[in-house]
Amino acid sequence: MFSLEGLTNSLQQWLNAHFSSTWVLVIESLLVILLAITLFAILGLVLVLMERKVAAHMQIRLGPNRVGPMGMFQTTADTLKLIMKEGLTPDGADKFLFNLAPFVVMIVAMLLLAPIPFAQNFQIWDINIGVLFVSAVSSISVIGILMAGWASNNKYSLLGAMRSGAQIVSYELSAGLSIITIVVLTGSLQLSDIVSSQQNGWWIFKGHIPAFIAFVIFIIAVTAETNRAPFDMAEAESELTAGFHTEYSGMKFALFFLAEYINIFIVCAIGATLFLGGWMPLHIGNLEGFNHIMDYIPSSVWFFGKVFFLIFLIMWFRWTFPRLRIDQLLNLEWKYLLPISMLNLLLVTIMAIMGWHF
Amino acid sequence: MFIKEYISDIYHAVKSLLTGMKTTGGYFIRPGEIITQQYPENRADLNLSERFRGEVVMIHDENNEHACTGCTACELACPNATIKIITKFDVSPDGKKKKALDTFVYHLELCTMCNLCVEACPTDAIKMAQNFEHSVYDRSKLTKKLNQPGSKIREGVE
Amino acid sequence: MNAAAIIFYIISAFILGTGILAVTTRKIFRSAIWLLFSLIGIAALYFWMQVEFIAAVQIIVYVGGIVVLIIFSIFLTQRSGAQMAAPAAKRNIFAILAALFGFAFSYNLISQYEFPASATQPFVVNVADIGERMLSLSEHGFVLPFELVSMLLLAAMIGCIVIAMKIPENRKGRIISPPDTSEIQINPVPEPQKEEVL
Repeated sequence: MFSLEGLTNSLQQWLNAHFSSTWVLVIESLLVILLAITLFAILGLVLVLMERKVAAHMQIRLGPNRVGPMGMFQTTADTLKLIMKEGLTPDGADKFLFNLAPFVVMIVAMLLLAPIPFAQNFQIWDINIGVLFVSAVSSISVIGILMAGWASNNKYSLLGAMRSGAQIVSYELSAGLSIITIVVLTGSLQLSDIVSSQQNGWWIFKGHIPAFIAFVIFIIAVTAETNRAPFDMAEAESELTAGFHTEYSGMKFALFFLAEYINIFIVCAIGATLFLGGWMPLHIGNLEGFNHIMDYIPSSVWFFGKVFFLIFLIMWFRWTFPRLRIDQLLNLEWKYLLPISMLNLLLVTIMAIMGWHF
Repeated sequence: MFIKEYISDIYHAVKSLLTGMKTTGGYFIRPGEIITQQYPENRADLNLSERFRGEVVMIHDENNEHACTGCTACELACPNATIKIITKFDVSPDGKKKKALDTFVYHLELCTMCNLCVEACPTDAIKMAQNFEHSVYDRSKLTKKLNQPGSKIREGVE
Repeated sequence: MNAAAIIFYIISAFILGTGILAVTTRKIFRSAIWLLFSLIGIAALYFWMQVEFIAAVQIIVYVGGIVVLIIFSIFLTQRSGAQMAAPAAKRNIFAILAALFGFAFSYNLISQYEFPASATQPFVVNVADIGERMLSLSEHGFVLPFELVSMLLLAAMIGCIVIAMKIPENRKGRIISPPDTSEIQINPVPEPQKEEVL
C-alpha cells in the first residue's frame, strides 16, 4: 500500500546511513523547503484553475477550455504571462515596503504550512502548541496587507488595507473561539493529538450539534479572514479597483494572488484536521467490513479529499453570495457570530465535562 | 421577544443562503444546461437567441419588391446617423409625381443595433438580421446599400 | 561556537538592528514596521529557547494586536508618508544617555546574577500545565492575578462600549418639539405674505 510515511522513513534511513547527523538535518531541511515551494506552485496552478472551472459551471458556462485539454494549462499560461510582465513600482511609493509586502504575505503562508499533518506521520513540525501557532502566525498576514496598502501611495489601496485590517482582526475572534471548541473536546493543542482523538469518529459527528455550529462559524470566519467573497471588502473590484494590490503588477501581484489561494488551502486544511478528522479514514461505529475497506485508501488521499471538499465549499460561497457592505460585515461578526460562538463554547465545555460526546 | 426575533433572523438568513446555494449547486451538477457557444467549432449549427441583433436588412420578396416608401422615418429615428435615405421621384402612368426610394445607405460601422429604426418604420420594410460576422479589411465595405439593384416598391404600400 | 549559538547571535543582531532602525527612521510608518520586526525577532528568540507557548503569545499579543493598533492609529492621525523633522541635538544626546543608563543598569543586574549550570537542563512546557497553573489555588497558582486581569479587561471593554455607543437622539436632554406646535409656528408666517401677493 502506498504511504508517504514509508517514503520518508526509507529516505531517513538512507540519509542516516550515508551522512553525519548534522548533514542529514541540513539535507532534510532543504528537501522540506523544496517540497513546500513545489507544493505552493502546484496548489497555485490547481486551485486557480479549479476556481475558474467551478465559477464557470455555477454560472452555466464552460470556463477555460482552449489551452490544453479541457483548458488544463490555462493557469500555466497565465503564470508565464505574469513572469514576463514588468513589475512596476509607482512613483511616490515607499519602495522598500512596497517590495517587501508580497514577501511578508508569502512567508506567513509558508510558515503556516509547518504544523499541518498531511498524512499519517507526515508532518513538517509537530509543534506542541499546533493550533495556537496557526492562529498566531496567521495574524501576521494582516501586517503584509497593511504594508502593501500604505506603501502603494494610493487611496484605494489604503482604503482596502484598512478594511481588510478591521475585518481580519474581528473575524480572528470567532475563528479562534470555534477552534477552541475542538481544543476543549480534545484537551490538546497539538494537531497530531487532535487527529488521533478522532480515531473512532470525526468531531463534527462526535460533538453533536455544537460541533457542527462551530464548524459553520469556522468556515464563515476563515472565508472572511482570507478576504474571499462574500467578504472581499479588501479587494472589492467594483469599489476599490483591486484594494491593497491595485498598484502591483507582474510577479509581485502573482505572489499576492498565490498567497490568497495558499491561505485558502491552509485554513481548509486546519478545518479538515479539526472537524473532519484530518487524514483519518471515515469509520462508522461497528461496521468492521466497511471500516477495513476505508482503511485501504491512503491517508494522504483522505486528507486532500477533505481539504478540497472544504475548498469547494468556500468557492461555492464565493460564486453564490453577493458582497456584504462593511457595516453589515462587522454586524455579522459582532452581533451574530461572536455571541453564538461564545454560547456554543459554553455548551461544548459543559458537554466535555459531563462526557456527553461519544 | 428580542431573543425570538434574533433566532428567527438567523433562521431566515440561513434559509435564504441555502436557497441560493441550492440554485448554484444545481447548476454545478447539471452540466447539460451550459449555454456557452464554442463559436468557430459550432459555426454550422449556431444557436443564436431570438432577440440577438446583428445588422439591419431590408425585406425583399420573390418579385424583388420591398416595402420602403422612402419616408425617412428611420433616418430621423436613428440616434447616430447610421441611415441615409436618398429619394427620387417616380412618375406614375397617369402623370403624377410620387416620392420613392432611390438608395438606402446603411453605415454598419456606426450602427449600435438599437432597433429604433425598425420600430420607427411604418411599413415594416426593414428588420434586424442575425448575421454577426462583419469583419472586413476595408472600412468602406461597411457602408452598405440595402435595397437590391432593380428592386421597386411593392404595389399597394403607401 | 556551535550552531545554536550562531543562531542566537543572528537573532539578537536582528532584534537590535531593527530596534535601532525603529528609533532612527524619519518615517513614522516605517518605524512601526521596524518595531514589528523587532518583536518578531523576540518571538524567534522564544522559539529558539523552545518555549513555544510564550512565543505564540508574543506574536498574538504584540504583532497581531499592538502593532496593528499602532499602525491603525498612525493611519488615522498622522501624515504617515511625510518625513519627520530631525530631532534637536539636545534631545538626541539625552535619549542616548537614557538608553546607556538603562543598559548599564540592566547589565549590572545581570552580571551580578550567576547563572547556575543546573538551570540549563532542557525542560518541556506542557500547555495543559500552564492552563492548570493559571487557575490553581495552591502556593504557585496564579488564580488571583488571572481573575484581576479578567476584571480589568471586562471593565475596559465596558468602558469602550460606553464611549463608542451612540446615544439615542431623544435622550440627550434636548426636548424635541412635537410636530403640532411647529406647524402652528410656521403657519402664521406665510399667511401675511399671501395677502401681500393678492
